[in-house]
Amino acid sequence: MNITKFWREFFHKNGAAVALFMLIAVGVWLFMMIILPQAFMLDFSIRANVPPPKFGTEEHYYTIEHYKYMIFGSALSTDSFNVIDLTVFFRTIAAAAFVTLIDVALCYPIAYYLAQVSTGGWSRLMVLSLIVPFWINEILRAFAFKIIFGSTGVINNFLVAVGIVDQPYDFIRNDVALWAGLSYAFILLMIFPIYNAIESLDKNQIEAARDLGSPWWRIHWRIVVPHAKPGISSGCTMVFMLTAGALAAPQILGGPSSLWFTQIIYQGFNQAGNWARGSAYAIILLVACVAFVLVMMKVFKVKFGEMMK
Amino acid sequence: MIRGRMQKFLVIGFVIAFFVYLFGPLIVMGLTAFNTSNFPRVTPWECFSIEWFDVLMQDARLITGVRNSVIIGIGVVVLAVPIGLAGALMLMQVSARIRPWYYTVTIAPILVPGVVLGISTLLFWDRVGLMLGATEDSFFYDGVFLTIVGQATFISAYAMLIFIARLQRFDPALEEAALDLGATHVQAFRKILLPFLRPAIGSAAVLAFLASFENYNTTIFTIVSSSTLTTVLASKVRYGIDPSISALAVTIVFLTLVGAVIYEIVKRREVRQSKAQMAVARGEARRTRKQRSFFSEPAFILFVLIVIAGFGTIYFAGTVGVEECKIAVKEKRQAEIQRRIEQRQQQQMAESAKKAASETPEEDSQHVQDSKVTAKGTEAYQGIFAPDNLQGESASDTVEDEPVKGTEAYQSIFSPENLQGDGTQETEAPKPAKGTEGYQSVFSPENLLGEAAEETDAEAPEADTQGYQNIFSPENLTNQVQSQ
Repeated sequence: MNITKFWREFFHKNGAAVALFMLIAVGVWLFMMIILPQAFMLDFSIRANVPPPKFGTEEHYYTIEHYKYMIFGSALSTDSFNVIDLTVFFRTIAAAAFVTLIDVALCYPIAYYLAQVSTGGWSRLMVLSLIVPFWINEILRAFAFKIIFGSTGVINNFLVAVGIVDQPYDFIRNDVALWAGLSYAFILLMIFPIYNAIESLDKNQIEAARDLGSPWWRIHWRIVVPHAKPGISSGCTMVFMLTAGALAAPQILGGPSSLWFTQIIYQGFNQAGNWARGSAYAIILLVACVAFVLVMMKVFKVKFGEMMK
Repeated sequence: MIRGRMQKFLVIGFVIAFFVYLFGPLIVMGLTAFNTSNFPRVTPWECFSIEWFDVLMQDARLITGVRNSVIIGIGVVVLAVPIGLAGALMLMQVSARIRPWYYTVTIAPILVPGVVLGISTLLFWDRVGLMLGATEDSFFYDGVFLTIVGQATFISAYAMLIFIARLQRFDPALEEAALDLGATHVQAFRKILLPFLRPAIGSAAVLAFLASFENYNTTIFTIVSSSTLTTVLASKVRYGIDPSISALAVTIVFLTLVGAVIYEIVKRREVRQSKAQMAVARGEARRTRKQRSFFSEPAFILFVLIVIAGFGTIYFAGTVGVEECKIAVKEKRQAEIQRRIEQRQQQQMAESAKKAASETPEEDSQHVQDSKVTAKGTEAYQGIFAPDNLQGESASDTVEDEPVKGTEAYQSIFSPENLQGDGTQETEAPKPAKGTEGYQSVFSPENLLGEAAEETDAEAPEADTQGYQNIFSPENLTNQVQSQ
């Protein structure tokens, strides 16, 4: 009864045409684009890997072999665990967390400087100029790092010319380029939430604390950081998710022996042709990311809605 | 006092370092677009030229990719903006109990990794097509359709956030007044709500198009057999790089800046207009000054002049005298190479005789290396055949992309110092290169993991075997020499 009343009111309030438009658009989005595709992917990941004509037949039975494969590897291998995939997975997660930390460390001082210290047109120009790199393709940004970190790139030429090293250092192979490129790729998604949060802080609070003799680190720890918490947590979440899910930067900047988990998923689809295992791995990545967000919300004690402002 | 100044100095230094980190790579990349060197780099600077922009314009794959990207971008705008609008209107109306759930589900696509969205879209429409008995060439299997749907999944959420921000300032009394005065719901929607939301619709459309245009993670799965700008770019960047990619970046940055300036001017004009309207509405008897047209805006004129002057300078500097400069650089380089060869020939005289036979097939494979693999390959090669050369080789970078003529190449073909250079130059041929990677990994098992990652290109599934054949076919060698 409650529901029929809701619909009647809904149609009455919006008129039939507009109500229908809203229902269809939101319905298509929620079900055809968000919920059902994810459900199908989940379903696909817990079934045997068979070619499309056999879908729905008995050979397409339910199984958790693909998840087992992720942990234990194929039955033929001699290792008791799937060392390669597990290593790559945990390294990806750890690397994404590390990149997130680097970005917080880089962005917090800059955001504080732009929001509280500098004033006037100069600071507005700096904030505006931050947006420019963001509209350049992710691939081109990675390409820029490949150029400067190459064996004859600007940095190596400089190091050799100055005499710090006598051989060009292989930044790509040692993953330096990858770290720098990944930290760079999503840095703006860290800086803007923190900037917005700090900007809304009343300057008087900081001055009052200073007048009362508080050292600068305590001002940050007790006043600025608590105020910027929603911004920091939302920046961390976005940077972590995007870094863990990045594909272009690891493909372009990754050294020969460093794989990213997304690359393994990509291989499962395009090389091995094993869609079922690919979707199982995608589910694993998704679950890991959701778990990270939940942990972030717990640690920072913020709500989801607060974070996504 | 000194401590305070010190602190200030540190802060300024950090800010400068941060902005160098932010813009340095992009500026270096932009500069490489104007250097004639075949490898994108700034030092050593050879000749200032705009020839890489010509190369860019003649790249048919890239042009197809751009066309598909534009089609997909328009499709995403058409799909995502109405969905975002409906989603935002719905959020305002659902009951307080459902709202957090509804919000979480609709915002989730922004946070879900793009890879996951691409896979789920691909699987879903594949299954739907199968259930409906659609044929292979129906739109369920069409890369452009799948990409539009896949991207719209999360871009709709962006659009929704923009509409929510705007709707929070909407006064529902306006709509109620219209309804009281006898307007139908559709009229109230079209005449009251949509005009109010117009700025939001504009920004949502621009944002949706840009987000679609630069998306890679979702697209790479849903695009199936077609290509977009990003997928073409990614395969180009992975299998050998040349400065035409930098030229593309310069073009994109330039278009973005032009777009930003125009957007700013239009916005200011709108603000001024609405102020004038407000003044009229308040009944102020101020004569409305005739609006200057967009094109007589002083800022716009100045901007156009700067652009024209800049283009003229670049075009002039980039076309006049480039050939002469290139010849000069080439001569200098050849003299250098000649000197090195002579130096080396003495060392190598003794052992070259017994090595020549075993080197030839190996060398052949090295010619078609991708640049990244080359470095490795060369090391492996040198490790086996000429351990004493290792030091000198990695340091010699001047020969990396030499455009030597056929005879010189032939002369120096047995000199290992050219291996690296040839590899860089041959990267235009993706298929043999791929095959050789597989071949390469046979010899260096510790590289197996890395190689596997590089081979995942779906475009040339049979390349492996082809590469293998090429390695041992003698005509491959002549091909290499000719293409130089």
